[in-house]
Amino acid sequence: MAIIKRFLIIFLCVVSFSLAFAGTVSAASVLYNDTIEMGNGYQINNYVIDVTDVFVDANSVSFYVYHRDKEVKDILISRGDSFEFDIDDGGKVKVILNSVVGSVIPRASVSIVLTDYDFRDLHKNELVQGGHRSATFAGTPELKIIKSVDEESINVGDIVRVRVTVENVGDDRATEVLFNEPQQPRFILYDTLVSDPGKTTMDIGESKTPFVYELKATDEGTFELAPTTATFTNDAGQRFPQAASNSPTIIVGPSESLVSADLEFITTFDKHTVSRNERITGTMLIKNEGTAPATGVTVNIIVPDGMRFEGGSGVEQISGVPTIYQETFGIQQQREFSFVLRPTEVGTYTVSTQHSYSFDNGVDQDLQQVSSDDVSRNIRVTEGKYDYLFEQPLYVYLIPLLIIGAVIGWIYYRHKQYKF
Amino acid sequence: MLNILIVGNGQCGNRILDAINKEAFGKKSRFAKFYSQQKYKSNVQTIAINTAVNDLREMKFTKAKDRVHIPHLHGVGANRNVGKHVFEDNKTHIMRKIEERGDFDVCFVITSASGGTGSSFTPMIIQELKEKYDFPVYALVVLPFREEGTLYLQNAAFCLRDMRESGVDGIILADNQFLKQMGGNVESAYNGINDMIARRLLFLLDALDSEMMMVTDLGDFKTVMSGGAGIATIGFYEAETDIPVRTAIQKALSPSGLLFSSNVHEEASRAMIIIRGDRERLSIDEISTEVENLSSAVGHVFKGIIVRNGELPQVLAVLTLESASELETLYSIAVDAIKHEREKKERVASEKEVDRAFSKIDGMDPSY
Repeated sequence: MAIIKRFLIIFLCVVSFSLAFAGTVSAASVLYNDTIEMGNGYQINNYVIDVTDVFVDANSVSFYVYHRDKEVKDILISRGDSFEFDIDDGGKVKVILNSVVGSVIPRASVSIVLTDYDFRDLHKNELVQGGHRSATFAGTPELKIIKSVDEESINVGDIVRVRVTVENVGDDRATEVLFNEPQQPRFILYDTLVSDPGKTTMDIGESKTPFVYELKATDEGTFELAPTTATFTNDAGQRFPQAASNSPTIIVGPSESLVSADLEFITTFDKHTVSRNERITGTMLIKNEGTAPATGVTVNIIVPDGMRFEGGSGVEQISGVPTIYQETFGIQQQREFSFVLRPTEVGTYTVSTQHSYSFDNGVDQDLQQVSSDDVSRNIRVTEGKYDYLFEQPLYVYLIPLLIIGAVIGWIYYRHKQYKF
Repeated sequence: MLNILIVGNGQCGNRILDAINKEAFGKKSRFAKFYSQQKYKSNVQTIAINTAVNDLREMKFTKAKDRVHIPHLHGVGANRNVGKHVFEDNKTHIMRKIEERGDFDVCFVITSASGGTGSSFTPMIIQELKEKYDFPVYALVVLPFREEGTLYLQNAAFCLRDMRESGVDGIILADNQFLKQMGGNVESAYNGINDMIARRLLFLLDALDSEMMMVTDLGDFKTVMSGGAGIATIGFYEAETDIPVRTAIQKALSPSGLLFSSNVHEEASRAMIIIRGDRERLSIDEISTEVENLSSAVGHVFKGIIVRNGELPQVLAVLTLESASELETLYSIAVDAIKHEREKKERVASEKEVDRAFSKIDGMDPSY
């Protein structure tokens, strides 16, 4: 029994916390508990409860309920009675007539209770002098955004002008309007004629042109421009879903003005089977078969371990790497560079080359970077003619050297003996 | 083992000494000194002395330490009087150089009789050696060509006299005039003479210190050299083909085999004959016959036989002379040369023709 009681307490606590921290108010909340003079009203958002007539003698009051200017309910109730009406989003308002107060202007003492409503949506909750006729109501601004292009069919490299216009076709002023114009893939921003106005307001029926800019097509294809979006609130500060523009379609065809450099790198060697320490000459032929000159042409010759770079024409060692560098390389130009390698170890080797260059394709603002790799045919290095000499034990060299040294020493000694 | 000192004085003495050192290498190559050793049987020490440094530099086979330069310009100019003064000034130095070499059993001093340094130094060195040491000293003297000039002839005459007076134990003569028969150009003739003398001397040294079938030694040599008039010569023959040893002995004693022209059968006093060759080629009968022939004419003949397998017969004969007609002839020419020089000097002194020529411009000054 004690266990059941403890479980029940915990359950009630959990429920109470859930209700207390929930966004929606399911419990009743007293919005107002005071008197309202006859002819005045109480506004809850766009609803106004007018106290139309107060009958002191009859202890009754006539109430008219308006949604904006539209009457939604009228009722005469006596002291102690109440009535209810629904408002937006399932909320219920209950008006209780507590008493009737006689005076120069009679008043009704009421309690106004709101249930089942999210208080975060409660933007208006106050007395209205003069009733609904004097009340101000929050409207719904509606932004109609139109994105248009001056040409729907262009070629790569052509420029298209984009214009974004917006009109408030709603029934309320739009405030804190912020536009968002996304970047357009496949296009580069060529020029901006009208730039983002920043946070702004738009009256009912007002039109604006927040963006006018020009795009340059970089790729061929059919593309939809990403829509322009806007966030805004109404006068009452209510936030509405963001408005979005249309997405105009642009067909981009191939461009006649697009050019490119096309460099061909061909590495050849004068022989592919060599003896150790025998020099081999490599030739790097560079040809530009493209339609644009190349710049910064760089070829790194990766000499494998077991081979040594001996030198070459137009080839310099940069940070230990034999490198061919050409500042510019014209259209249809071709040039040969030779370099000499000396294998120091027996084995099979390949010589790798890393090529890179850049060029202006006439469309993009940035230079186009091109890089590639290449690997030569196998180079087989065999033993040198005199390699066997180096394979002999040390004494084979040492003994003759000692003998020669002794002979030289003896000859010198004898020379000194006989030199007068 | 004998301890032998060989001193080469002056240009001629230096060259013969160098030829001996070259011959001692046993090879003809000029590079023999780099790969070969001298093959002296004895302990042979050689010293070259000269006032002309260039003559010492020309030597190729004599060690630098064996070359003694006496500083005096570049030689004494064939003037024996100057040479004698230079020797006196450097006597201590020269004798110390000899003394440093140790003790010797015999000494040979080689020189030309006609030059400056050699002809003046040699008698004085011999005199010093004889005063300080008790080993025998022999001079090997080269006589000049007769047509070489009056100064050389007079030097030769006085040099030989001084040498006799120096106490020398014997003078071995080699005559350039006689050796002229070898022919060839001047250089090859001189080199040939030097080599010839060197080969004979080496043969002699080898014989004095070799084991022989029949023995001749230093004592025999001394006995031979003490005979006669103290003048000797050497005959030598080396067979180039397989000839009888008798013929080789005859050729060694013939004028063509001698260093100094002499009729050995008439002028020789004592003799020593050393024969070397293969045992098969050395016929005792032939040797005895020839030695007997010689001894019947000159008196005593020492003979030594050295057996060397495979060698052709070689014969060396050392002959002391009782008289030397060729030497008398030389002195006759020398006397004429001395007279000629004296007359020329007196004529120049009395005539003073050059002075008369100069006197023509006495009291005058040049004008420009």
